Amino acid sequence: MRLAIAGKGGTGKTTIAGTLARVLARSAAPRQVLAIDADTNPNLASVLGIAPQQAQAIVGLPRSLMERRTREDGTTHVVFGADPESVLREYGAIGPDAVRLMVMGKVGHGGAG
Amino acid sequence: MCSAHATVRGFLGELVARADNDRHVIVDMEAGLEHLSRGTGRHLSRLVAVLEPYYRSMETARNVVALSAELGIDDVVVVANKVRDAADRDAIAEFCAAHGMRLVGEVPFDPTLTQAERQGGAPIDLVPGSPAVMAITRLADVLTA
Ligand SMILES: Nc1ncnc2c1ncn2[C@@H]1O[C@H](COP(=O)(O)OP(=O)(O)O)[C@@H](O)[C@H]1O
Ligand SMILES: [Mg+2]
Repeated sequence: MRLAIAGKGGTGKTTIAGTLARVLARSAAPRQVLAIDADTNPNLASVLGIAPQQAQAIVGLPRSLMERRTREDGTTHVVFGADPESVLREYGAIGPDAVRLMVMGKVGHGGAG
Repeated sequence: MCSAHATVRGFLGELVARADNDRHVIVDMEAGLEHLSRGTGRHLSRLVAVLEPYYRSMETARNVVALSAELGIDDVVVVANKVRDAADRDAIAEFCAAHGMRLVGEVPFDPTLTQAERQGGAPIDLVPGSPAVMAITRLADVLTA
């Protein structure tokens, strides 16, 4: 199951996403649950039960993971260049019930791309 | 295009495309659907629009539902949150019916969530038997079916 949860700010997306992740982790084990925080103001960690110190240590994905590739016709495009599984291992945090959390929103800022 | 957003979209796309039966993926989106591209949308099995029983929240959900369809997400459902009474329930049901939105469940308004939030922890750990946690537990079956 690959589920996205959307809606107006403050409606309860994070509360529902985080609690759902924990519920599924218990009922669907050994299937892993990956919770992705795609909000630019990430706070899924606390609803998952990840301690503040651990949550603060989570780093966002660096922009260098995107690579510019050249097509056969000479035009270029930008693609995600890394192996997602190793990115998960490197940047993901593991919380209670073995839910894996990836924080996307904390992507490092810099010049406009 | 802002490359921070591109990184997020690229990763989501890769990850969601690869997620298989060994893994459930739940994406907590921001208010808009900025991180979703057409490609990523196609790899999601379902989008859940959460709404509260007040007009602007329901309007946002309606936009989310419309945009999801444009992104190629076939299965779009609605969950009502912070429902206090029959009037709330009716208002939401009526709005969803009027706009062809598929309402699949509701979570009651539950002040114990504030308690969990104050303690900075997970509702499922701090108030496990609370009405909201119980309702989300029931929703899990509906949303993964
Ligand atoms: N069913 C509910 N009853 C009462 N308060 C709720 C309920 N669901 C969420 N909340 C509260 O509403 C606020 C916003 O919830 P949150 O999950 O962070 O929303 P979002 O991620 O959509 O911005 C939080 O303070 C949360 O505790
Ligand atoms: Mg949120």
